[in-house]
Amino acid sequence: MSSNSKDKDNRRRRRSSSLMYQEPPESLEQQSDQAVLPNLNAQWVNAKGAWLIHIIIILLLKIVYDIVPSVTQETSWTLVNITYMFGSYLMFHWVRGIPFEFNAGAYDNLNMWEQIDNEDQYTPAKKFLLAVPICLFLVSTHYTHYDLAYFMINFLATLAVVVPKLPALHRMRLAFLNPEPQPTDQ
Amino acid sequence: MNSSNIGTELPPTAVAFIESAAASFQKIPGSAIVIRYIRSSYQNDPIRSLVELFLFIFAVRYLLAPAYSTKKTKNVHLTEDEIDELVEDWTPEPLAGEQSEWEKLENDRIPVIIGPAAPKTKLQNGRTVTNLASYNHYNFASNPELTAKAVNTVRTYGVGPCSPPGFYGTQDVHMKSEADIAAHLGMPACIIYAQSFSTISSVIPAFSKRGDIIVADKAVNYPIRKGLQISRSTVRWYDHNDMEDLERVLAKVVKEGQGKPLTRRFIVTEGLFENTGDVVNLPKLVELKFKYKFRLILDETWSYGTMGRTGKGVTEHQHVDPNNVDMIIGGLAGCMSSGGGFCASTEEIVEHQRLSAAAYTFSAALPALLATTASETVTILQEEPSIIQNLRENIRAMRAQLDPRSDWVICTSSPENPVMLLVLKEQVVKDRGFSRQEQEFLLQDCVDECLANGVLITRLKSMPPALGSSPRDQEKEWLPRPALKVCVTTGLSKKETEKAGIVIRHAITAVMKGKKWQR
Repeated sequence: MSSNSKDKDNRRRRRSSSLMYQEPPESLEQQSDQAVLPNLNAQWVNAKGAWLIHIIIILLLKIVYDIVPSVTQETSWTLVNITYMFGSYLMFHWVRGIPFEFNAGAYDNLNMWEQIDNEDQYTPAKKFLLAVPICLFLVSTHYTHYDLAYFMINFLATLAVVVPKLPALHRMRLAFLNPEPQPTDQ
Repeated sequence: MNSSNIGTELPPTAVAFIESAAASFQKIPGSAIVIRYIRSSYQNDPIRSLVELFLFIFAVRYLLAPAYSTKKTKNVHLTEDEIDELVEDWTPEPLAGEQSEWEKLENDRIPVIIGPAAPKTKLQNGRTVTNLASYNHYNFASNPELTAKAVNTVRTYGVGPCSPPGFYGTQDVHMKSEADIAAHLGMPACIIYAQSFSTISSVIPAFSKRGDIIVADKAVNYPIRKGLQISRSTVRWYDHNDMEDLERVLAKVVKEGQGKPLTRRFIVTEGLFENTGDVVNLPKLVELKFKYKFRLILDETWSYGTMGRTGKGVTEHQHVDPNNVDMIIGGLAGCMSSGGGFCASTEEIVEHQRLSAAAYTFSAALPALLATTASETVTILQEEPSIIQNLRENIRAMRAQLDPRSDWVICTSSPENPVMLLVLKEQVVKDRGFSRQEQEFLLQDCVDECLANGVLITRLKSMPPALGSSPRDQEKEWLPRPALKVCVTTGLSKKETEKAGIVIRHAITAVMKGKKWQR
């Protein structure tokens, strides 16, 4: 009875805001599955070298794009920006769940960003991961003379990875990008 | 500094302050870089600089914010005294609760046998009784050749590898048994588990995860239920052996899944049902599975070795190609007189289990003597199908004494099932108004009456209620009808079987006519 009425509540909440909805909290069983093991999928962001690799990847990208002949500094920085932002959006905000199997899909509803540090906000890893794209954008505008189009492309790319990281958007989903969560079983 | 266009002079103190501030700013190491950066970033576009400044301020604010948890924790802060008080007040509950009256009665009446479980078994009180309570259907347990081979295996291999198969537990005999069983069933590959119970409850979660859909028969046995529970999958039930209801459920699942990410979908059912004894309608099941694109997991724990001409199970009995069933799970602990279980399937499905089936990965391998015994019994079934015919004849002889002749009970098992489940006729239950518990009591009386007359049988006890579940929860769950369990064996001649059948029938009649159960 109680689970039934809770189910109805969830469904009603989703319907009332068709554009955006909040991922409902996990069932007790799912929470206990999450607690069985540390989340190996999200733990590595706190590991040594995981921070450095962002900088290394950005430098490598810059070198690779600079090697290509007849690429201006503006294009090269923009490509670095877009590549990094696209990669990190895909990794931290698009893909949900865990790509390998060790806890029976206990995190299937959460993306990587939400899994980091057990859903806590403003942790060191999250601060670093937010600072990297902003710094990259500031550095790239500094070393180039963007025209308006280039500037907007770079700025929007930065916003695309910064906005989903805001604590206010924790567990929020755009309904037209994400299919409705499957109804929980009775 | 000329500020005449503003109209008012700055006070000299302010001018001095600004000058000293600028001077001290230039003294800070790196200040020149900051100024150079701002100057070159400005690029004659104040709006861009504003945007950048905004981003910068935002980043600084984010970096300075204190961490917090989004999880709601409701911890009540207690003082040391309060904690001590709570600890003192606490009285632990006993690890095992008091026995209920029924449990006490049930435990008191359990007979204790001495020596091996043979068709004629010696009890602790010195009497020798006919044993119809053991799954020793082919009397392999008393087969001297099998015993000699098992002893030889122990001398060569020791008692057990004491290691999971993936470590150093796998021995050549295990691989031989796997090949033997796969060849017997006519399937490409097979994997052996060390416990019959944990085979199916480990195979299901190895393939089906959270979000996947399992359609299961309502009457499936306890290990399957545990497997469904561990898998965290979405489970849909269909009425026991009702193929129309199954089709309705499958169609519903397919309809609900349209436009959503594809999930794995399984049908889980039993070959011979442990709780009802009847047999599945496999041809129809395979047809539906292909029509709605489901995978079929068939638990043949009770049918492997007993159904079909050479004991291959329901697939042979109902003339279905076993390769149409995605996974066949069987038990070696019953009539095969060995131990453990197996899952026969394609190479890929079997290899997947070697790393991801919990019971295979984390449990010690099957002892070598059980593996060789399984190989031997599988060979015997193939070489001497006549023993299966003998078993069928004994089943017929027993059934003739019970099902049509008894006024009180009917047999729900299929005619080939050596485990005969006898339930009280619905009319009888209705006339006398028996509750479930009273039926269990009554059947226990029948078991005792049979034992007093020298025949050992038992009751169906295979569905323990979930731990901590209230009686109201249990009412909602599917429960098997209380039943007597009579296990037929070829260790007894046809005449002895008939005689035992007569004893059982008379015992049931005596109990039903006794004063205790009159209403």
